[in-house]
Amino acid sequence: MWSMVSRLKREVFPLSSTDTTTEAPRDERRDAEMARITGALGAAVLDSLVKANDDMWIRVSADAWRTTGETLKSLGYSYFCFLSGIDWLPSPFGKGEEDPTEPTPERDSTIKQGYTGGATRFQVIARVMQPFTSLGVNIKVDIDDSMAIDSWCSVYAGANWHERETHEMFGIGFNGHPDLRNMYLPSDFEGFPLRKDFPLLARIVKPWPGIVDVEPLPGDDEQEGEAS
Amino acid sequence: MTMLGDRQQLAYIAAQAADARVNVELETEGMTLNIGPQHPATHGTLRIIARLDGEQVVWAEPSAGYMHRGYEKLTEVRTYPQVTALVNRIDWLGSFANEVPFILAAEKLMGVEAPARAQHIRTILFELSRIANVSLFLGDLGVQLGAVTPVFFAFRDREYVLNLIEAATGGRFHPNFDRIGGLKDDLPAGFIDETRMVMKKLRTFCDQIEDLLFGNEIFQSRTRGIGVIPKDVALQYGLSGANLRASGVDWDLRRDQELPMAWNKADWKVWTHPDGDSFARCWVRLQEVRESTKIVDQLLDTIPSGPVMAKVPKIIKVPEGEAWVSTENPLGEMGYYVVSQGDQGPFRVKIRSASFNNISIVPWLLKGVYVPDIITILASLYFILGDIDR
Amino acid sequence: MGLVDRGRLPKPLTSLFNLGRSYSLWVYQWGLACCAIEMGAAFGSPRYDVMRLGVIPLPASPRQADLVVISGTVTDKMAPAIKRLYEQMPEPKYVISMGSCANCGGPYWDSYSVTKGVDQIIPVDVYVPGCPPRPEALLEGIVLLQQRIKNEDMGARWRGEGTKPMNVVDGESAEKGGVPVVVN
Ligand code: SF4
Repeated sequence: MWSMVSRLKREVFPLSSTDTTTEAPRDERRDAEMARITGALGAAVLDSLVKANDDMWIRVSADAWRTTGETLKSLGYSYFCFLSGIDWLPSPFGKGEEDPTEPTPERDSTIKQGYTGGATRFQVIARVMQPFTSLGVNIKVDIDDSMAIDSWCSVYAGANWHERETHEMFGIGFNGHPDLRNMYLPSDFEGFPLRKDFPLLARIVKPWPGIVDVEPLPGDDEQEGEAS
Repeated sequence: MTMLGDRQQLAYIAAQAADARVNVELETEGMTLNIGPQHPATHGTLRIIARLDGEQVVWAEPSAGYMHRGYEKLTEVRTYPQVTALVNRIDWLGSFANEVPFILAAEKLMGVEAPARAQHIRTILFELSRIANVSLFLGDLGVQLGAVTPVFFAFRDREYVLNLIEAATGGRFHPNFDRIGGLKDDLPAGFIDETRMVMKKLRTFCDQIEDLLFGNEIFQSRTRGIGVIPKDVALQYGLSGANLRASGVDWDLRRDQELPMAWNKADWKVWTHPDGDSFARCWVRLQEVRESTKIVDQLLDTIPSGPVMAKVPKIIKVPEGEAWVSTENPLGEMGYYVVSQGDQGPFRVKIRSASFNNISIVPWLLKGVYVPDIITILASLYFILGDIDR
Repeated sequence: MGLVDRGRLPKPLTSLFNLGRSYSLWVYQWGLACCAIEMGAAFGSPRYDVMRLGVIPLPASPRQADLVVISGTVTDKMAPAIKRLYEQMPEPKYVISMGSCANCGGPYWDSYSVTKGVDQIIPVDVYVPGCPPRPEALLEGIVLLQQRIKNEDMGARWRGEGTKPMNVVDGESAEKGGVPVVVN
């Protein structure tokens, strides 16, 4: 009963996390875990971040990528969750909502990386978890111009398919991967779809009119007119 | 060290001895068998290429991609509310469950929490979609082994659940009912009584399936000791859901993770099975349906009153940040890694779908099995094509 | 039948044949995505009972089928297989495209890997819109197809003329007096 009341009270919640000015809450479990990880990895960790009651992030140097996997596995992170890539370049096509007959608007193309920073356009992100405790850590690594990194196949067998997928979608190579064939797309497909500069042709040919959609919410009695 | 049960170990040794004998006696030429992409015994269009030696698989490889629809790229050109409509269609049998982790991730980034009533109803619908999903699995399982009756039972009883979902959300399949900050609507009148009745029917359905299928000697001999996945291998490959629990790992994200959902308000049990074989996987799923009906029943009693929607701005802009949320979906762990750069739409969404990992074990698992077992093993791993290819 | 081959068939015989054909449609289920489950519900579940319409959803291969229901997303990788399947079917053959994906690409209209409509590969007789269409909608699509078959000139069909698609939209068929577009 009381928990219910307190939950109802919490309903008036700040709309965005930037509104809050209170000091960040601590999360001992994750802090201790992070200390353990950074201790074991040593200089390989370039940056780390713990969000209380949320998650952990680390960024490691590219040459320590495989050892990171091995170390984490020995620290009990035996569950392989996913591995993928991120292209931090802002899309040169925006959201594909412009009218193709108009000149393309100017777009900001400065790269800004997310949590734990980074120095390159491409990053590989992987997540491993400790079973039972459900503690997970997101590991990021910068991909330099060689566009290749060590494979995790020998550490986590499940990484095999994920690396194939990442290779196909971003064009990132994995040294030591047994078989980097295309998985989804026909082998004669050109380009790497998840790179931001890969255009969605259907959108360029015909823009979508519905980019702004505002649906009246329940209990929302205002007139529709102002919603645009 | 891999822990195998006694029975498994014996089965293993016996099978291996038999293989050795056969291999010495009959040297056969290899042959390549191609199953799919369209095959009555696979859901959707998975293609399996297997290299055979006699009746035995030497090497097998699923060839996915016939259903690759490019979700991750499409999310980059959609707004957050539009993405929900899209991600519905990943695991098409339990659609509502796909929306929830995405919405939770967006809510986490925005710092919004759905009101208690919305959380409750979300959990109820989540479990209903699990029932709709897994009950079809239980029926389909029979078909793949040559027993056609159970699927009719499954389709019949699944309709009741779909009717409930339709009554609440307006869509049988793809509800698109979740909103950032709550739900689109409240439950309709009469939903609670109706649901209680249906849950009773579903429990009868489970009993029937248990009688018809799980007690069946043929079924047992075709699934027991077949396709054994040891615990550590399962973890390495990132297997999740019932596949992992059938290997004896007592880990359920509904119970072991803090999420603004109502699972912890009900009293239920996480079933595991020590064997790790096909039978175990099917059995765990059957128990899961039972537990789900129990969860729904209990949550129906305790739905709090109040609004179903928190206050959120009309045009949703999600502040910068990254968030990972995963839930225990019918197929296993489904998670979204959402990267936002303060726009109306996400910057990048990595969709971690359960079947992708679950199927990535197939090349390892099919090595050395016999041809008829391919189908049993694939059926018991339970995948949905949209969930593999995305 | 030599008569049909030559494209000439007496009227009464035509209607007799057409009646027979329309109520013994062997349908091959080509389930691709979510819509496949609704198709399964329509064809496999006791609730919708498709056999009462004279449709037999059992052929083991497209070579024995009169009708194929393409239900779900057609990807560029899948397209050649669909084309091949269509070519394997014996004439006269009919195609129902089920779901927005098969009609036009649906929610994936802008995707890089999805074919924007199965009609780019094979001719379609009836489009069933919806995402997914309810099983009832598929049944209506079948009824529409049967009406088309009944009004068909087998000779014209044989010569490959006149395949204009139809739509299951509320009132679409009713508006034409309950009879779908009769071709030729
Ligand atoms: S039309 Fe909708 S339901 Fe049908 S396959 Fe496409 S996305 Fe799925």
